[in-house]
Amino acid sequence: MAETATAAPKRSSSWRQFKAILRKDIVMELRTKEMLSSMTLYTLLTLVIYQIALSQSGSGFDIRLIAAGLVWLAFVFTSMLGLNRSLVHEKDQGCLEALLLAPVDRPVIFFAKAVGNLIFLLIVEVVTVPIFAVAFMSGRPIAGPFWMLVLSAFVGSLGIAGVGTFLATMAVNARGGSFILSVLFIPLMYPALLAAVAGSSAVVLGGEGYAATFWQAVGMGAGIDAIMLLAVFALYEFVVGA
Amino acid sequence: MAMDRNRLTFAAVVVGGLLTTVAFVLAFFVAAPVLANNTLTAGGGALIGGKLITNPVLFSQKIFFFHVPVAITSFVIFFFTAFYGVRFLMTKDKRFDTKARIATEITLVFVALTMITGDIWTRYEWGTWWVWEPRLTTYFIMMMLVIVYFVLRASIEDEERRAVYASAFGILAFLDAPLSFAITRIVPSGAHPVVLRAGGGLDAVQLGGFLIGLAGMLCFGYAIYQLRIREETAKERLEVLKASLEG
Amino acid sequence: MDPVLKEIYSLVLPAAPYVLAAYGILWIGLFGYVTVVLRRLGKIEAELRIVEEALARRA
Repeated sequence: MAETATAAPKRSSSWRQFKAILRKDIVMELRTKEMLSSMTLYTLLTLVIYQIALSQSGSGFDIRLIAAGLVWLAFVFTSMLGLNRSLVHEKDQGCLEALLLAPVDRPVIFFAKAVGNLIFLLIVEVVTVPIFAVAFMSGRPIAGPFWMLVLSAFVGSLGIAGVGTFLATMAVNARGGSFILSVLFIPLMYPALLAAVAGSSAVVLGGEGYAATFWQAVGMGAGIDAIMLLAVFALYEFVVGA
Repeated sequence: MAMDRNRLTFAAVVVGGLLTTVAFVLAFFVAAPVLANNTLTAGGGALIGGKLITNPVLFSQKIFFFHVPVAITSFVIFFFTAFYGVRFLMTKDKRFDTKARIATEITLVFVALTMITGDIWTRYEWGTWWVWEPRLTTYFIMMMLVIVYFVLRASIEDEERRAVYASAFGILAFLDAPLSFAITRIVPSGAHPVVLRAGGGLDAVQLGGFLIGLAGMLCFGYAIYQLRIREETAKERLEVLKASLEG
Repeated sequence: MDPVLKEIYSLVLPAAPYVLAAYGILWIGLFGYVTVVLRRLGKIEAELRIVEEALARRA
């Protein structure tokens, strides 16, 4: 009885800390709209680059073959921008140091930052996907149900946000921060991104047994997320204080 | 202690040299040639070494006897990057960071050698220098991770922080390497042969030659690692002595 | 050469340069690396001896 009495308030307090940090990030974003606007603008410009890249492909080219890959590519680029910004902010304004001085558990900081980044990334995705569909798919339907696409996007984004937050924490303290982030991020995220593209692509393309491919890829992606997030979670405590 | 270590290094070089030489002789002169799948159009066959050979002989398979040991050695050494990374984070002892760094450096040497030997084989066997084939792709990713480890180190000035970040990244990179291998298995398109498996078709001499070569390569890996450690220790001692000479 | 034997060895001759080149590069690379390391090690240890002697003389 006594045990539960002491355990309960402690847990609620780290939950409160988590909410406080997350709310701080969201309120700041709502006030400045800096990160969302720059991330969205960056994705739009990425789509422009796609237009240039595909400009000579002709009308016979079926965009669906590479649609999932292109969209994920845009997410990867924009998330690197966003991740870098979200931690550069903290560092420039001395927020991170203040947070570390405050009696907040390190894992709570990690989770709050990662969830904040995940939310921003998901918002950008929600904006990007319809624009991509209108601009490039030209009325071609996706083969699978839409919720499958949402699921694979979520699984992929979870890994991007979690591992990305960790790597961005390191990158802000390194020379050439955003370069270091991209260089660390891309090879480390390779398996997760491959799973994400495989899953989304299966839904877009359909065909025989696409559901099996989809579940295999999503399962694999979720497994990779679990392993990487656990590792990153365990290592964060060392990295954030160093 | 240091003397023992040096003697062990020397022994590793000698044993490594001996084993790889034996492996070379076994692979190229003793081990039965692997035969191609297509039969002779000239018909019949010929007696070679008292055995009737009715298929063309696959000489390119000989790469297996050195390419694979080098590749396995690269994985084994890469493990120590993660291992010493964990040790460093647990103890904050600078020596473990040095060990992890040296292990990664030697991983890079072996990875490069694996890449080069594999690529030359690929050029002959598949006709191109590079294919985005699962095994090649994931190994390429692993090479990138090893290179990036040094990019990360170079970009951090603070020594303590560099060690912590490098350890953390080393651990993540080593976790990521098997994940990369696993993920490409679900995208089925493996052109890379898988010889080391049940029913891989190796006879005792072939397997023996391979294992001896592997043991030799591991000895070399160990010896090179110890040499580099010795160099780093000497370098650090030199710095200290120079400082006390000047100060 | 006997045509049958010629065909049996038909995959040996074109493959040989590649396999041997790979083998050669492997050993050149390995020995090259070890040579560089040994040379550096020798230099550092020689320097270390000099500095140690200088320190001993001063003491």
